[in-house]
Amino acid sequence: MLVATLAAVASCHGRPALVALEAGPPLLLVAAPGVRINARLKPALELDGGTVLRFDSPHLTPDSAYFAAAPTAAPPGGARRGTLRVSICPSREDICRSVQMAAAW
Amino acid sequence: MTTRREGVVLTASRAVLVVAGLVAVSAAAIRRPAPPSSAGGTPAPELTNASWLNADRPLRLSELRGRVVLLNFWVFTCGNCTRTVPSLVEYDRQYRERGLTIIGIHTPEFPPYAGEHDKGNLVRALQRQGITYPNAQDNDRRTWDAYGIRYWPSFVLVDKRGIVRYTGYGEFHLNDGDFREWDRRIARLLAE
Repeated sequence: MLVATLAAVASCHGRPALVALEAGPPLLLVAAPGVRINARLKPALELDGGTVLRFDSPHLTPDSAYFAAAPTAAPPGGARRGTLRVSICPSREDICRSVQMAAAW
Repeated sequence: MTTRREGVVLTASRAVLVVAGLVAVSAAAIRRPAPPSSAGGTPAPELTNASWLNADRPLRLSELRGRVVLLNFWVFTCGNCTRTVPSLVEYDRQYRERGLTIIGIHTPEFPPYAGEHDKGNLVRALQRQGITYPNAQDNDRRTWDAYGIRYWPSFVLVDKRGIVRYTGYGEFHLNDGDFREWDRRIARLLAE
């Protein structure tokens, strides 16, 4: 279901989606195929008021560089929007880049 | 600046928020060192960083004329960066005495809460990686922006006159094709 949604968004915007935030609780950060989420720089959700939540998962790649399962975060009740920061390292590009975006759930 | 704000699409009925990503860039374009800059090149922007490790005092390119300088934009939280470090350590071992200065420009991805700005964390990362060449803390991204860098890791090779001659980005490993290409470029500039 999620992959289909990603594809649809890619089609609408003419560019591929790299990550998706699935509402919870907990919030689930899902990477598109071929996109790795940097586990050494845990994704952050900056809430209004200054609280910063970090996404995490116990499941990492053997070198501990990337998440092997979608990391999660549990925002406090009432929080509905924030700024998401993710360090992504597409597997075919051999680089990391930082993505920052507004998020609401 | 690599960080971008991206649009979001909300499908409320499924409580799923989808974030549109960046335009994909071909692997070849990313991984290969860029071709030589145009004839004559451009002067390398001066380094203005105040906080340095493995250096007695802040380094300035103007004081390194006569040496070839390889700038490596990196951050210790980037696996692609740390996996490239052994290659840089090898260049340093091989070429330092022959006129190469490697300078790490340590540029955080996230705000200070992530720990990348912390000097102690960087010290430990340098020790862990066996890095003995100078590193500047580029916590305000001043040097990153001055060079128009977009990805971790990135590389800028500056000749003895202070001119940017080669740029590129992407992880590489000891003795792979990109390693050999950068090696040839370093040797070429050292011979000029």
